[in-house]
Amino acid sequence: MSDHLLSLDEMKQVDGYLASGFKIHSVHENLSGMFVEFKRQEEDVCLQILTAEARKYLAAKLLEQTQ
Amino acid sequence: MADLRIDLAGIKSPNPFWLASAPPTNSGYQVQRAFEAGWGGAVWKTLGEPILNVSSRFAAVSFNGQRVAGFNNIELITDRPLEINLNEILETKKRFPNHAIIASLMVEPQQEKWHEIVKKVEAVGVDGLELNFGCPHGMAERGMGSASGQVPELVEKQTYWVKEVARTPVIVKLTPNITDITMTAEAAVRGGADAVSMINTINSLAGVDLDTWNTVPHVGGKGAHGGYCGPAVKPIALNMVAECARNPLVNVPISGIGGISNWQDAAEFMLMGATGVQVCTAAMHHGFSIVEDMIDGLNNYLDDKGIASVMDLVGQSVQRYSNWGDLDLNYNIVAQINNDVCINCNKCHIACEDTSHQCIDLYTESGRPMLKVREQDCVGCNLCAIVCPVDGAISMIEKKSTIPPMTWNERQSLISNFTR
Repeated sequence: MSDHLLSLDEMKQVDGYLASGFKIHSVHENLSGMFVEFKRQEEDVCLQILTAEARKYLAAKLLEQTQ
Repeated sequence: MADLRIDLAGIKSPNPFWLASAPPTNSGYQVQRAFEAGWGGAVWKTLGEPILNVSSRFAAVSFNGQRVAGFNNIELITDRPLEINLNEILETKKRFPNHAIIASLMVEPQQEKWHEIVKKVEAVGVDGLELNFGCPHGMAERGMGSASGQVPELVEKQTYWVKEVARTPVIVKLTPNITDITMTAEAAVRGGADAVSMINTINSLAGVDLDTWNTVPHVGGKGAHGGYCGPAVKPIALNMVAECARNPLVNVPISGIGGISNWQDAAEFMLMGATGVQVCTAAMHHGFSIVEDMIDGLNNYLDDKGIASVMDLVGQSVQRYSNWGDLDLNYNIVAQINNDVCINCNKCHIACEDTSHQCIDLYTESGRPMLKVREQDCVGCNLCAIVCPVDGAISMIEKKSTIPPMTWNERQSLISNFTR
């Protein structure tokens, strides 16, 4: 069972939100994976990330955002 | 020729290979023959009130044709009177003044008993003492051995009593039959230990005879747990040595014990913090002469590395041993299969498909069966390389990550700022 394509899709969604001006506002992890809240002014969206590779990727993007 | 001499808490020996306190060091006859063969030191079989043993005593676990992968014993400490042992120690020390003789000791946890035996043993010129807080069977039922060694307060107190009168370095031998060996190692240091040694044997039952339903070994149809040692325990022992070596509160030399069978094992223990090593099972399996290969091999290794003294090995790998939370989550390796070497046994495919991450594909090229790793799905677990029977058929290759290094601890710290 390959998670690769799913992780690519999740990373692409993360990149998509960041490229369109959203910033990572909050991160919550639970039994169902990672829930990332993106905000752009008054607009916000929540992305559920399932794969391990994409969760690592999100942390890297979070680090970029804080630097 | 490298300098193989070691100095462990003031105990000097011509090389780092000592025989551990066990049947091979039961008598002067044996220890003198061991020294003639090349062993640098010997920890005399534990002295105390002479015990009574049972028969039978030993059992071994063989695995896939390897004899004595593990070894189990229910033999206790010396069954000979102290004076006889002391006379033989005196005689052996006279014949081999430059070899290390360490007296292993075990008495009931009473101050006067420790004082009495320490004074008597030191009077014959031993180079050091090793307090046996590890023997897991028989003696433990009498409040000694691992029964003492599992209680940090008892380890500290008894070490302190010994140090009140000891004039030679005191090594405290620790039991692995405890959740966290650093707790008792720290207790030994608090008690004044000059060094610690580990590991003693692990509680074990070698097997059950499927015909008779007796335990292995059994004593007239009854069995009791023994102590397990030999090659099978080496990874457990190496971890315990490493955990103590990197603990700042265990700031004394370590004598490494546990499954050491050749010079490579010895070098690994020394790199992980042991100043010297003690060997038992390998000598029981192959005889005292194995030390010749150990000495030659270690010497050649040091020469090849350009290292002048074996003491320069000690602890070199300790800083590389850390906590899981401090490992880089973004470091990646993947498997690569060399189909020119592969014999198409398909063990890698089966292992990966059944029990790992399903990333090794079977295919045919020009009518020839081939295997290929889908690198994007490989997690670098090593299983395929581990099960592969052909050297060089599978290599684990580092793949540069596209994202920067980040440990779990760093990640959690970062994320904690965003859990609004």
